Amino acid sequence: MIDSVELISYLHKHGLNLATGVPCSYFKQLLIELEKSDKINYIPATREDEAVGISCGYYLGGQNSFVLMQNSGLATIGDVLTSLAQLYQIPLLLFVSYRGLEPDATFPEHLLMGDVTEDVLNAYNVPYEILYEEGWQDTIDRALEEMNANKTVVCILVEKGVMDE
Amino acid sequence: MKGDEVVRSLQDLLKGDELIVSSNGNVSRQVFAYLHQPQVYLRGSMGLPMAVGFGLALSQPNKQVIVITGDGNFLMGLSSMATIAFHKPQNLKILVLDNGSYATTGGQQTVSSNLAYEEMISGMGIKNVQSVDVMKDTETLNGKLIDLLAAKELSVLHTLVEEDIHKLENIPWHPPEIKDKFLEKFD
Ligand SMILES: Cc1ncc(C[n+]2csc(CCOP(=O)(O)OP(=O)(O)O)c2C)c(N)n1
Repeated sequence: MIDSVELISYLHKHGLNLATGVPCSYFKQLLIELEKSDKINYIPATREDEAVGISCGYYLGGQNSFVLMQNSGLATIGDVLTSLAQLYQIPLLLFVSYRGLEPDATFPEHLLMGDVTEDVLNAYNVPYEILYEEGWQDTIDRALEEMNANKTVVCILVEKGVMDE
Repeated sequence: MKGDEVVRSLQDLLKGDELIVSSNGNVSRQVFAYLHQPQVYLRGSMGLPMAVGFGLALSQPNKQVIVITGDGNFLMGLSSMATIAFHKPQNLKILVLDNGSYATTGGQQTVSSNLAYEEMISGMGIKNVQSVDVMKDTETLNGKLIDLLAAKELSVLHTLVEEDIHKLENIPWHPPEIKDKFLEKFD
């Protein structure tokens, strides 16, 4: 499991000082730590597209942030991705929980989105990588590098049990 | 009075260092045409000018951020107002140009006319909310705009304006260019 406090420190070291989003239970501990953090200011949003809007505005003011959401939220952010973040070439880091995989079968509300999550990201031309405990720093480094070099949206998918819960 | 006249009324009141976020469609075109450049002219992301303005206000706490939005955009993103009201960024001002319609797409009605804006917004926890019907009362507009800009707290000014489906030229800058020019302000 990835330690939330370490993840927050790591992202902060890379220049991110604000996070916003809508919770997923996979990020329960991460959100507890974010709310306590004096390194990263967490802004709870009412919707995922709002969170992306906040993150884009923050970038336009010269600072960097990231967005947390459940993969269900990917279905909410299509317009703000295509007509703001991607259109204006705004770097945007999305941390998205990957629900609807096998162990989640008791949550039918996530099954369809779980099936199509990677298709949706591909359809929107959003590069993504799945986060694992082993080498998680490298995954984040690659994502940030791609995001900053290409001024693009990048997504990190987080399966159950990868973050401390 | 029409929405673009409200935008033009700002010309003489702004100092020039304000950061403006404008909602998609006609409003962004008006802000591009009549106010100091560059600003964050949204081409899409309908409903999100308040969210973008909020992020900008958090990022630039010493600058005044003004969101200029149509009522269609404002209502689509209404829950952002709840988020903003919770955090109360003192450098954020919201100006609603309420023409009761989606003028950009041909003037279809919005549900705006049914709403009591002052009560609705103050009920979210925003103290400084004013509403002015500039179709009936053009005299007080300037004073309200001055108050909005001078306020030291999160403030909202709701203006009832005449519908205007007259279209300005499209914004000639490509979106990445809008972003790059805007970011140069902070070099
Ligand atoms: C998600 C989305 N839905 C619909 C549209 C089409 N659209 C563009 S501008 C606009 C109207 C915006 O209305 P309002 O904010 O009241 O501004 P006005 O046009 O009246 O100046 C609409 C519906 C869009 N751009 N994006």
